[in-house]
Amino acid sequence: MMKNNPIEIRFALEDDMKCLIDWLQQPGVLQWFPLADLREIEDAARIWIGNSKHNAVLTALWEGAPCGMATLYIQPFKKLAHQSLLAIIVDEKFRGRGVGTVLLRELEKIAKERFQIELLHLEVYEGNPAIHLYQRLGFVQYGYQRRFIKDNGQYIGKIMMQKVL
Amino acid sequence: MTLPSDYDIRYSVTEDLAILQQWLADPVERRFFPFETDQETEDVLKNWIGFSRYKAALTGMVSGQPCAMGTLLLMPYRKVAHHASFYVFVEPGHRRLGIGTSMVRNLLHLAKTRFSLESVSVEIYEPNPIIFLLEKIGFEMFARQENFIKIDGSGHARICLEHFFT
Repeated sequence: MMKNNPIEIRFALEDDMKCLIDWLQQPGVLQWFPLADLREIEDAARIWIGNSKHNAVLTALWEGAPCGMATLYIQPFKKLAHQSLLAIIVDEKFRGRGVGTVLLRELEKIAKERFQIELLHLEVYEGNPAIHLYQRLGFVQYGYQRRFIKDNGQYIGKIMMQKVL
Repeated sequence: MTLPSDYDIRYSVTEDLAILQQWLADPVERRFFPFETDQETEDVLKNWIGFSRYKAALTGMVSGQPCAMGTLLLMPYRKVAHHASFYVFVEPGHRRLGIGTSMVRNLLHLAKTRFSLESVSVEIYEPNPIIFLLEKIGFEMFARQENFIKIDGSGHARICLEHFFT
């Protein structure tokens, strides 16, 4: 689909779910997701990878090996089919190398061209450094839900961002 | 606005699904919900009534007949299980009697007492008049997203509101 040596992007395969589950279990990653344990990770990974049947999930490869993934959550309702929530993850070993930027740009492209998405949106928790990436790519905040996460008695707010395509 | 004298509320039961389906068979009544087609409606209503297993769904009754239904949509993950959202619907012939307010207040009570939740949020689509009822009860807006939903082909905003117990 796109060559940008050494990052390559392809549609995700069912088999990529193993990588997704591994990445979600890397130290510190779960603080940016609503998930708390392996059962919840597996459940969320199944939903995420389930979008691949619509070719709505992209996997980034670094020298041929998966290093990140991004998905559009294809809306099950006709009235909502013009917009989509997205999610992204990058293997900790490949952070800071532009993988997230390439993934999001490609995801935006398929959202627009393949799914005629007019509005792309995401949810990110307060303090997540990925917020800067989203801002750089043109996402703007449209909402904030305080106390969205409660982890060991500590609350974390959810920032809701969107980009009109 | 006076509640009918024989108005009562009970937990929903799975058999209430047929009534809910009947109320929402009319596409006009689906206007402020995300579902539109018969299949979409079927899926959502089955999910809705599924919460009756947890005693998270309520049915309003007048003269022994259902007049309204609502359910808490409990969250599946632990770190977000301290809050929930909800659906509510009042049968057209029983609107403007305070039943909607009563249903929402009872859902909040259920959230607080039975499920020990800390807040309840809801997503509504403009120009759903339920916003006035929700603001009166103490819900506060935390997000507004333009063009979130297409109703009759044109873009409408979604408004997200939340009510905190503490």
